[in-house]
Amino acid sequence: MTEIDNEPIDILEEEAQPPAPPPVGFLPIETNWFDRLFISLVIWVAICLVWLRFIEPLGADLYIAHAISVAAGLYIIWKG
Amino acid sequence: MRSNRLGWWLLSPTLLVLFLFGAVPFFYVLWLAFHQWNPFATNPDIIYNGAENFRRLVFDTAFLNSLGVTVAFVVFAVLTELVIGYMLARAFMRDFPGKAIFRTIHTLPLIMAPIIVGSIWKLMTTPSIGIIPHLLDEWFGYDLNIGQSALAAFTITVIMDVWHWTPLVTLTLIAALVSLPADPFEQAQIDGANKRQIFWHITLPMIAPAVVATVFIRLMDALRTVDEVLMLTGGGPGSATRYLGVHIFKEVFPKTNYGYGSAISVIVLYLTIVVCWLLYVGMLAPRNKK
Repeated sequence: MTEIDNEPIDILEEEAQPPAPPPVGFLPIETNWFDRLFISLVIWVAICLVWLRFIEPLGADLYIAHAISVAAGLYIIWKG
Repeated sequence: MRSNRLGWWLLSPTLLVLFLFGAVPFFYVLWLAFHQWNPFATNPDIIYNGAENFRRLVFDTAFLNSLGVTVAFVVFAVLTELVIGYMLARAFMRDFPGKAIFRTIHTLPLIMAPIIVGSIWKLMTTPSIGIIPHLLDEWFGYDLNIGQSALAAFTITVIMDVWHWTPLVTLTLIAALVSLPADPFEQAQIDGANKRQIFWHITLPMIAPAVVATVFIRLMDALRTVDEVLMLTGGGPGSATRYLGVHIFKEVFPKTNYGYGSAISVIVLYLTIVVCWLLYVGMLAPRNKK
């Protein structure tokens, strides 16, 4: 019999650990990844519509709006 | 693992129906929104045109006007329905002679088809034969003509919607009020709270989920109102009652411009989702935060 076998087994070890708190993002509501994906899509459409109405007539291409939307979406999904 | 597979097999007919009748039409309309398609034009082909429909839409004054009058219609109609519906729900919570028959009569508009409601209100508001212009003229000397006055037409469409849909609000709020426990109200009365304080601090927070659900249903219905208004005013006079549903109808069917109509439909769906989501977040979600 080895020395390790003689050590008592702590059966409450796992229960004693407090559950990890859910990560808190910058959004004012509790979200999961799908909520944040949904918010990103909603914001994507809003950015594109505003871009088409006000910024594209000044000469800026719609692809820039898509790039901004993707960046904002990724940020929201990771940090929201 | 085995039972899981059985569950998916049992669910598959429902999922198939949902996919065929929910997902497929939605994605078809979404796909069409990025195309130009007029099957009755000289070139009936479906031609991809990128964001051209949306580019046209954000500058379309007829669409923006429709959006404005629809927002006004939704705000006035839904708020009025909520207030009257709550008051009626409170009234129907009390006992009075003939309560059952009043509740039945009050619920009758709900079972009417919208096109019938439109016809009835058309008959009631036609200047030469309608009871409403007749009575308004007799009692107040007011000449009601919804074919000429934009404000009158707008007001009558709001009143018609309120008449049609308030019973739904009443029924859902009665269900919410009946399920409330008596203890908080008794304790508040013992503590000396008045009726206004009880309403704002106890009743309203406790029935908030039912109120939000009711507002969702009414909001979605009001945003897609077509048949009643089309029957009553035809979207006029001018564009005073050309709500989004009516606008889409007139854009798609007389003009057969399916691509552009699809783009408007997609944007209306988007706006509905955004408004409902903001409402949900504003009224319920912060309370769920731990």
